[in-house]
Amino acid sequence: MISLENLTKYYPSAAGKQFVFEDINFTFPQGKNIAILGSNGAGKSTLFRIIAGSEYPNRGQVRTELSVSWPVALTTGVHPLMTGRENTRFIGRVNGVANLDDYEKKVIEFSELGEKFDLPVRTYSSGMRSRLSFACCITIDFDVYLIDEATSVGDLKFRKKAKKALLNKKNSANIIMVSHDLSELELFCDSAVILHEGQLEFYDNLEHAIDIYKRL
Amino acid sequence: MAKVLHRSLSKIWLDVIYAIFLREVKSKSSDRFGIAWSVVSPVVFIFMLSYLRGKMDGGDTHGIPTFFFMVYGMIFIQFFLGLVNSVSTAIKKHKPLYAFRQVQPISSILAITLFESLVKVFVILLIGVICFILKFDIHISDPFSLLLNLLKLAVFSMSIGVIFSLATCYVPEIDKIKTLLMRPMFFISGVFFSLQDVPQEYWPYLTWNPVLHAVELTRYAVYPEYGNAGVSDFYLNVFTLTSLGLALACYHVSWKQAISR
Repeated sequence: MISLENLTKYYPSAAGKQFVFEDINFTFPQGKNIAILGSNGAGKSTLFRIIAGSEYPNRGQVRTELSVSWPVALTTGVHPLMTGRENTRFIGRVNGVANLDDYEKKVIEFSELGEKFDLPVRTYSSGMRSRLSFACCITIDFDVYLIDEATSVGDLKFRKKAKKALLNKKNSANIIMVSHDLSELELFCDSAVILHEGQLEFYDNLEHAIDIYKRL
Repeated sequence: MAKVLHRSLSKIWLDVIYAIFLREVKSKSSDRFGIAWSVVSPVVFIFMLSYLRGKMDGGDTHGIPTFFFMVYGMIFIQFFLGLVNSVSTAIKKHKPLYAFRQVQPISSILAITLFESLVKVFVILLIGVICFILKFDIHISDPFSLLLNLLKLAVFSMSIGVIFSLATCYVPEIDKIKTLLMRPMFFISGVFFSLQDVPQEYWPYLTWNPVLHAVELTRYAVYPEYGNAGVSDFYLNVFTLTSLGLALACYHVSWKQAISR
């Protein structure tokens, strides 16, 4: 269960404070795979980053006793001058992985980088970079995975693999996902939150939510 | 799948600082010279300048061999400038890492301070070894004060760096002003001259500078006959504590805003 308490977030600008959320109270129900729906600029990514703890609200707080991943799909925290292995160990250390060597092996296996794993990330293609960061995240046991259009990384083969890994996770963990690809959301999620004009609304049925979202 | 440990808050802090520290080391050792360059380059600079100045001067400056007079001044000013410059970019530098909720700007600041300080410790050790090999007469009357002054210098340099670092997140132009402010520091901190060489009526224009105090007090600590005219331990202590307090206060109120821009 992740609950938002009196959450307020604004960005200062020349035209005054631009509020993204103002005093919202909301609880993400437990055991659901939730899609976040909302038009461009509705604040999906901001909400996402606040839940992940990557960004901080101006007022209020996010309360949860679950372990939540960082927002996947970005090449977060990957240093171009460091090798894939060094980056993996960095991410493992920061997240408190118990056995770094074992973690490393699983990341190599999942990312299919092979020898490239010991070369600087600078030399990787963008698909390879995303594969590395996706592998780093999915290999760690979290209760909730925050996924931002993640399965669009890499080539077709890797996408299938990523989807399979995420579907396997559905049993042991939950997913909160942002994507503009509705078919992808239908594959992973069973319920949805619609973010509209700074308000959140939960829908137990994804189809129903998508209908409403389309009419917004 | 990889299990995650349940860590105490202090353990998370240490792990994160250690991880960023390693990252810092790795990113500095990307070329052939590697991390050694961070040590060798200042040593060569300090040593050459001090040696030449010592040769030209020939004797001593107010009771200190001119070589050592210069060495202490150069080490201190380089420590100060190095730390202020690297800490003042610390928050922005690791911005992508704050996506991990465990990483906060202060971990980046502490890791970078630790890295810079260690590099400078090696610089000092290497200069010591070179002096030993060349059979220079190393004389330190009060090693404890020497270390304490270095520590105070590190603390207030870091604090100044933190304030600049936060300020540049709000107003990026501050960085340019910082460069302008730092430039004269090399010349007004008593590296090339002693405060005793300056006519007393001009002292107030120089003695606001804590680096000058640290430099002169250190020369006094290693050679008591040098004297401590015009500088005060009390001022250095107060400045160190005040700047640290101010830096922590500024950090506390503004870090969340500073990184969400």
